Amino acid sequence: MTITEGQTAVATFTPAELYARILRDEPLFILDVRNEEEFRRSPIEGRANLTTVNIPYFEFIEDEDGATARVPAGREILVVCAKEGSSQYVAGVLQERGYRARYLEGGYVSWGNFYDVRDVVTAHWGRIVQIARPARGDLSFAVISGGKAALIDPMRHVQVYRDVVAEAGATLTHIFDTHVHADHISGGPALAQETGATYYVHAYDAIHPIDMLPAVIAYTHVQEGDRFEIGAVTITARWFPGHTLGQVNYRLDAPDSRSALFTGDGIFLRSFGRPDLGGKGEAWTPILHRSITERLPRMADDDTLILPAHFSTLDEGDANGVFAAPFAEVRATNDALRPRDEAEFTSYVLSHLPVFPPEYVEIKRVNIGLVTPCDGTANELELGKNICALSNA
Amino acid sequence: MSIAYDQTLDVKGARCPMPLVKSRKAVNELPVGQVLRVVATDRGSVADFQGWVKTARNVELLAQETVNEGGQELFVHYLKRTA
Repeated sequence: MTITEGQTAVATFTPAELYARILRDEPLFILDVRNEEEFRRSPIEGRANLTTVNIPYFEFIEDEDGATARVPAGREILVVCAKEGSSQYVAGVLQERGYRARYLEGGYVSWGNFYDVRDVVTAHWGRIVQIARPARGDLSFAVISGGKAALIDPMRHVQVYRDVVAEAGATLTHIFDTHVHADHISGGPALAQETGATYYVHAYDAIHPIDMLPAVIAYTHVQEGDRFEIGAVTITARWFPGHTLGQVNYRLDAPDSRSALFTGDGIFLRSFGRPDLGGKGEAWTPILHRSITERLPRMADDDTLILPAHFSTLDEGDANGVFAAPFAEVRATNDALRPRDEAEFTSYVLSHLPVFPPEYVEIKRVNIGLVTPCDGTANELELGKNICALSNA
Repeated sequence: MSIAYDQTLDVKGARCPMPLVKSRKAVNELPVGQVLRVVATDRGSVADFQGWVKTARNVELLAQETVNEGGQELFVHYLKRTA
């Protein structure tokens, strides 16, 4: 094709459209034209019917015929790159050759920063809203009741939370981080500053575990048993050390006897939070074992809805992309929670630890205010899916 | 870094895929054996040039460097036409 700065019109698709089609498990073909290293670090993942092939864009520049021959004819091709430019180029090449090709608006960056909002619970007393960032496997929540709103683990792009609270006609009063996150940048401190809502985190997490430096952000210490009224619901802090020393689960009790437990990185639906990200895995593993065996049964009933901060694969959620399950079901299906004594638990943890992403040390610094990255650096730090869970492999 | 080069291609401000598109074209016009110095502002060009030369027909990546010029980060690539 003729290469010009201004390309001819090539059709696009949005992250929202992609996610909706992934949830419906439509047969999709993604042609990822990033370099191999970036592709391996952060592929777009879906369900069974998603096929992804990596052919870097420069292979189309080097050998257009050869690269194109590797793209299946007769089906829609969704082209993805890092920041849009080269996927537009490749989609243009394919379109000129008769392919039905479209490219992702904003590239992988926009997929990584795409949020999906949907209700988990709606009742006469209010709502629990799930705010997910599908590319990262990150989940956060809003509790709305009686004109008040609380957020649990809000992420960096705070506008989505402003919108959820505003659309509900509510006032944001409480922001809870279950712990100081290592995999993504919290939106909690920024939202607290602009709204006047109180930002809660356990003081044990306000010290960087590797630097041993204290937080310079404003926060209010939350501890075991602290209770908060959000309209008609009560939220109780339940200390669950192990993933971090200050990990806190938040239990919600509603007037209709329904309950939910926001477990952060305490437990997930199919796994639990790895105890080594503070660099103290050996010391923290027994603490996590006690939290799972002794503390967890005291903070969740069989029908308590478990609402974690992460998922590892989309099939942990339902067809609508809601990641929630009653505790009895989680206990029965989450192999990582199977009863084990401390020695068995330790060897389970050691044999299921994924790589330790080096950027996680830096992200913790950001989250307690020791470092302030620009937007581009924040995108790079947060590239790819979270690796906070033990591996199921 | 003191790498001898014959020509310079300025792709400052150009975004992916243009630094690589223009470099390919410039290498095609370069006499065999000569070295092209490419000056880019696109950070992604560093990994992309490394990937490109693995499959490229007649290009060798002699070196890459990052230099700071008046507060602007420049990514400089030295490409040799080998055939």
